[in-house]
Amino acid sequence: MIEVDHLRKSYGELTAVNDVSFTAHPGEIFGLLGPNGAGKTTTIGCISGLLTPTAGNVRIMGHDVVREGVAARRALGVVPQEISLYEELSALENLNYWGGTQGMRNPLLRERIQEVLTLTGLADRAREPVKQFSGGMRRRLNFACGIVHQPKVLLLDEPTVGVDPQSRVRLLDLVRAQAEAGACVLYTTHYMEEAENLCHRLAIVDHGKIIAAGTLTELRSLLAEHDLLRLSGVFPAGAAKAALASLHHIEILQSDENLLILSLPEASRRLPAIFAALTAAGAEVRGTNLTQPSLESLFIKLTGKELRE
Amino acid sequence: MHFLAISLRKDWARLARDPSQFAIALGIPLVLAVLMSLVFGRAPAVPQGRLLVADEDNSIASTRFLDGFRSDALRKMIVIEKVTRDAGRARIDRGDASAFLLIRKGLQQAFLMNQPYRLELYTNPEQSILPQIIQQTLSIAVDAASYFRSGGQPLIEVENVALGEAKPARSFSAVFLPSSLFMGLLFLASGTAGDIWKERTAGTLRRMASSPISMTAYLMARIAFVILLYLVVGSAGLFAAQRMAGLPVANLPGAALWIAFSGTMFYLLFLWTSVQATTQRAANVLTNLIIFPLAMLGGCFFPFEWMPRWMVSIGELTPNGWALTQFKAILDGAVHIAPLARSAALMTAFGAVAFVLILRRVRAFAV
Repeated sequence: MIEVDHLRKSYGELTAVNDVSFTAHPGEIFGLLGPNGAGKTTTIGCISGLLTPTAGNVRIMGHDVVREGVAARRALGVVPQEISLYEELSALENLNYWGGTQGMRNPLLRERIQEVLTLTGLADRAREPVKQFSGGMRRRLNFACGIVHQPKVLLLDEPTVGVDPQSRVRLLDLVRAQAEAGACVLYTTHYMEEAENLCHRLAIVDHGKIIAAGTLTELRSLLAEHDLLRLSGVFPAGAAKAALASLHHIEILQSDENLLILSLPEASRRLPAIFAALTAAGAEVRGTNLTQPSLESLFIKLTGKELRE
Repeated sequence: MHFLAISLRKDWARLARDPSQFAIALGIPLVLAVLMSLVFGRAPAVPQGRLLVADEDNSIASTRFLDGFRSDALRKMIVIEKVTRDAGRARIDRGDASAFLLIRKGLQQAFLMNQPYRLELYTNPEQSILPQIIQQTLSIAVDAASYFRSGGQPLIEVENVALGEAKPARSFSAVFLPSSLFMGLLFLASGTAGDIWKERTAGTLRRMASSPISMTAYLMARIAFVILLYLVVGSAGLFAAQRMAGLPVANLPGAALWIAFSGTMFYLLFLWTSVQATTQRAANVLTNLIIFPLAMLGGCFFPFEWMPRWMVSIGELTPNGWALTQFKAILDGAVHIAPLARSAALMTAFGAVAFVLILRRVRAFAV
């Protein structure tokens, strides 16, 4: 179990994490979704004991990460965003070492290493130096080193960045398996599809703050079944806005001379009316993108910007 | 203990798989040592020295006494420098010359009047060949003067004042190899300390910091590894030096232990500088800024035997100069327990301070 209570982490004037609170339970995959620089990695750093919080508390399986650091870290498995392996060593040697740092010993460690090598599909390359591995294989080994000791709490910091689709599917299956085995998983990502498919509960983070949290259903309900309509083209300042104001139930999320992002119910049915109003106002629509309610549209609705910006 | 075992195994395996850094660290001084030994051989080095002369008589006779040193053979070997009595004594006490000859007023008169007279020759105990040559040349001049005097009685004598015990002559290799061993040790220590940047870049240090292993245990395991590494490398280097320069075998175990101990202290110094830097390049620059002056001044690049006395005085205050002096004493079998223990205690204290400073920084450094 992870309990984060009013966590704050500042670097001088900059507040990277601002009053973040959430609880993740055993058997649950809890997602932290946000753009790069939102504070996800800093939050993971505070939870894993790498960073000392400026304020607030973090508890892992009931142990405070600052005051009972060793006990807290014993329950923890971390899969960092960057590959964190000894490249000169083989997969087997890496697993042996990182399993050993968690206090595991043979023959249990040997058995467990074989298990995770099979799970990650690396059994037949186990004795090769990591520097000969492909990017996907390194990612899988990076993951294997984080779970070799069967941690009760698993922190995954964007583990699929730069991973080929095949390895990604495999990694996500492994994450699900960890949760099914009873681990409490904290998963950070900026891929909405991953978060939607994987996480039981989610917190959307921006500028170090949680701006929305809940299950996927709860978060979608915040959108009130509104679609997201993204129009590109030339939109005379003021005139386009005024034209849209005459139409009912349209919320303008973002507006500039070349882009309009609107939130509205039944968007596909109302497209002709929107086009007519904009044309009458002197605007020229060159591109249209319609998205049904999703985490991305929620993020845009909440922050006025896209998740990948 | 379990972590120590797996950590040592891991570090040895990493070194074995990628020995390039290790090879570079040792390669430069090794090549230098081998080349210079091949050029200069195992024979004693060609001596060159300085004779300080305070000629208070300032007469024809006193000038004639020094003529022997102006022959072609000796002129290249011994430079004569006129000094005052006080300056000469001060410099020979500092070891800043091979010998100091004091010709008190009255030499010419004594020679003409057939009166006894005594030349005072102060010799540098740190040199063996040159003071002997000076002494013998002077004796020949005295004998020649006696021959011309009536009766040929040796009324003029040379009083030789050795300012300490004479040391046996050392071959070029014997002089240079301890220095090159310590130069290698400095480079090796900087290379092994720089590995922390490799660990940081690879992310393994970060992973370690989020494991239940404390950073103290991690650093202790690294220190255990470098002690073993320096012991092995030092023993191999000493064995090679013994073969090349005929170093006394009985002193080698002690010398190997001293290498491991000194190397560990250098490692802690360079590790501390490495974790202070904000980039790997800055760490390299910082380490080089320390290592080269230390090597130059501390007798590693140029042995103390080849350096001016004033520079030796500075060099002996550097950590490596300090350690090298004790190392040579161990090799020569001339080690005294009290100064050795004092050096070891001070170096241990320095290492302990460095360890604490590294420990305070390393967790933040890992992130």
